[in-house]
Amino acid sequence: MSVWVYGEQKSELGLEGTITRKIEEDLYEVFIGPQHPGSGHMRIIIRIDGDIIVEADPDMGYVHRTMEKLAEGREWIKNVPLFERMAIQDACNVTVSYIIALERILDIEPPPRAKYLRTLLCEINRIAAHLYGFGIFGVFIGHSTMYMWSFADREVMVELAERLTGARLTHSYPIPGGARKDIPQDFPQAARKAVRYFRRRLEEYRKIFLDNPVTRKRLEGVGIIPKKIAAELGVVGPVARASGIKYDARLAEPYDAYDEVEFEVPVFEEGDALARAWVKFEEIKQSLRIIEQAVDWLERHPREAPIHDRFWAKSPPLWKKVFEAEGRVKLLPLMANMKLPPGRAMARSETARGEIIYYVESDGKSTPYRVRIVSPSARNAIVFKYIAPGYKVMDLPTIYGSIDYFPPEADR
Amino acid sequence: MPARPVVKRLPARRGLFAGFKGNVDAITIGLKYLVDPKRITLIYPNEYIKLDPGYRGFIVLEPKKCINCSSCARICPAAAMRMIRRMEEDPKTGKKKMKLWPVINYQRCIFCGYCVDVCPTEALYTVPYHDIVYENMAEMDWGLETFVKPPEYPTAKEGIPVKYIVDEEKGLVKVRAEEGEEE
Amino acid sequence: MAGIIDLILSIIFYPPIYQLVLVGLTGSLVVVIFIIWFERKATARVQRRLGPYHIAPRLAGLPQLVADLIRYAFQEVIIPRTADRELFVLAPIVATVLSILPIAVVPLTSNPAYWPIPMDYSILVALALTTVSPIFLIVAGWASNNKFSIIGGVREAFVITAYEMIAIMSILSASAAVLTFNLVEIVEAQRIWYILLNPIAFLAAFLSVLMATSGFPFEIPESENEVVAGPFTEYSGLLYGLNMGAAYMKRFAFSILMVLVFLGGWSPYTPGEGILSGYLIPSLIVVAKAAILMMIFSLTRSIYGRFRLDQALEGAWRLVFPMAVLGFGLALLEAYLGVM
Repeated sequence: MSVWVYGEQKSELGLEGTITRKIEEDLYEVFIGPQHPGSGHMRIIIRIDGDIIVEADPDMGYVHRTMEKLAEGREWIKNVPLFERMAIQDACNVTVSYIIALERILDIEPPPRAKYLRTLLCEINRIAAHLYGFGIFGVFIGHSTMYMWSFADREVMVELAERLTGARLTHSYPIPGGARKDIPQDFPQAARKAVRYFRRRLEEYRKIFLDNPVTRKRLEGVGIIPKKIAAELGVVGPVARASGIKYDARLAEPYDAYDEVEFEVPVFEEGDALARAWVKFEEIKQSLRIIEQAVDWLERHPREAPIHDRFWAKSPPLWKKVFEAEGRVKLLPLMANMKLPPGRAMARSETARGEIIYYVESDGKSTPYRVRIVSPSARNAIVFKYIAPGYKVMDLPTIYGSIDYFPPEADR
Repeated sequence: MPARPVVKRLPARRGLFAGFKGNVDAITIGLKYLVDPKRITLIYPNEYIKLDPGYRGFIVLEPKKCINCSSCARICPAAAMRMIRRMEEDPKTGKKKMKLWPVINYQRCIFCGYCVDVCPTEALYTVPYHDIVYENMAEMDWGLETFVKPPEYPTAKEGIPVKYIVDEEKGLVKVRAEEGEEE
Repeated sequence: MAGIIDLILSIIFYPPIYQLVLVGLTGSLVVVIFIIWFERKATARVQRRLGPYHIAPRLAGLPQLVADLIRYAFQEVIIPRTADRELFVLAPIVATVLSILPIAVVPLTSNPAYWPIPMDYSILVALALTTVSPIFLIVAGWASNNKFSIIGGVREAFVITAYEMIAIMSILSASAAVLTFNLVEIVEAQRIWYILLNPIAFLAAFLSVLMATSGFPFEIPESENEVVAGPFTEYSGLLYGLNMGAAYMKRFAFSILMVLVFLGGWSPYTPGEGILSGYLIPSLIVVAKAAILMMIFSLTRSIYGRFRLDQALEGAWRLVFPMAVLGFGLALLEAYLGVM
């Protein structure tokens, strides 16, 4: 059992696959993407022998926007709306670790209420992003109902996020030292209703998609990443957890309120596309639990400005008046060109697609000296190159959809 | 109570009738929705969503409150807000004086709402709509005259205002929003 | 002059021709427009959407397909420089015509005056004609000279090998049960509809028709996310519309055949004399039944994803083919017991 990958046998990597013979010429080379209905904003060059992929070469960079360099020319807080553009359905998750890194340099700790608010929005975003992933996955394997359903139900989460922050997608919610808005009065009730709705709805998803014999047959045993290989390739997020790696940034280094809420990190050991779909499915259930707990906590505790005293204690009375009336945390004008003390910090958070890492370095100016982002999709893209060979051409969308690869986040 | 990892197994699919049951379940769900669709579509120009007052839509200036401090222009992450100079007569002394006023360019605005939050006198406020069409790019670059009054919202003239309510059964339910709760 | 007119009239009123034009072309166009609309509406209902709406809200968007057709008709037909010009243009036209050809040989009434051809071996002729059109899809893919088209064409070729045998076996099981190749006799023999006597053969035929016409769990040759539009990647305008319509027309032809064999044809009605009672009413009943069958076909779109190519072939040969054989065996048993 061996498959040739760039002249190397796939079995040398400890992977098993379908038998194919080594052919150096007469390979059919197909460019999938970037202008292709099943590729997203990236190109995968595959070489096929009959119906079997012999080589796959993910060619990233089609939507590269030099975000790290752009960040160096902007003031600290202005980078939040920029970094949100990496994964707009997952806006809070991808920016919260940048904010945590800033807080580490500033040496401040947000008040518990801010932590819970951020956690709440993070989990709302996580569900929205997983549903987005499910939708794309569904349409990749031809299941248009899954696509429409998950996009329709994602709207529930987007609606909740809108009520919480005032914007549907790019919330720009976390700020150094806190969060920008408290929950409105009727939010807990709406959130609980949404949670109950989703619990019932996920059952229907399972029936029409995950346990549908056609889907199941299509996913089972496709794109298997054994645990050892997953660790060697350095994949993160649901891809790693589907291969039996018990790793989650919320688990390894709890940020915000994640050390206070109770939830499970689902891990599967099969490592195939079906396991990856199930990881996401189970994660949605856990996110619903976290939303419930966060909403309960926020309701039990008195409403106070969810921001560190450093930005609130000396603020004028108008600030308090606006917060009482609208729940909106006003920013001090110094926030615009706030200077951070020289220093460096690293922070990570678990986005829907995996762990995102920010390395932030300040040299005492009002703009960063360096912001380095390691995004989960960039780490997962390697799966195409090493896992796709040996499977059939029709498995490529399955592998693509199951790792939930998101080009704007990988290219940044 | 930190998180804990839990190793789960994929639901087993054994037995002669497993595939049969899966098919029946899927078809039942499909037929259930065929009979009772539970639609959530918004028929857009005929209906429009009446958003909550907290929504971050178009930004409008109240010139009476403005203290010309340029905080909004400094915090704008997209450089949409900028300050313009204007010769103005001081009502008390009658002297001519140079004053700075914010104007906004909606080609660039990303509706992050930082300017509203940073304004020390609440001179900026958001209106809860943002679906306005312009015929050309130049119109989107608002001058001070446009910036001081809420933009016209043409959709509201033709369509029916609706609101989405989170519902336990259907997810989102479209209900007609009450008229006259403008502020 | 009169001779020419007579010649033209005799060609038009030559039974296979008028059946092909009346039922085959006109009927299938109407039914296909209705079915595509139904498919879009039903899928939209399951998916919690509205489907076609704005073109005529009172008719629930029914004229949408007419509008699409007009759009296709006026769109520029782009022929790529690298394509094989003649075949590229001819293939979709021939495929469409051939896909409704089986209609020219099936009886839509028991009145011998309106039979298009002598009926003695009609089921064989009809089945033979269903097997002609797929080759032109492969030709279309090949003539496009595009990698995705060629992969799509090859997939089409694979799928043909899977469904053809099953379709023929399962539909012929009726003639095994009745011991005749005459479609009229098969229809008349059904005191109880044959679907109730032999559901296994019906299920096999149902699945094979889904495969033959790219119905949803088997929508493999055109699967968008791998091969863009399969053999039709390079097509545009009317030729693309023809390609897309051909699959539905083929489904219509198969449905008529299945109605005759499994669903009792013009069953509750006994055709009499004259054109109204002898031809129009029974043929309308058959077409209506075929439309209902096609509506059931179109529901699979909203419930299933698509199989992988090898899984579809495996399922066809390992599961559906034995099913068809079993159905054939059951038919022989019924013939032996004299059920029909």
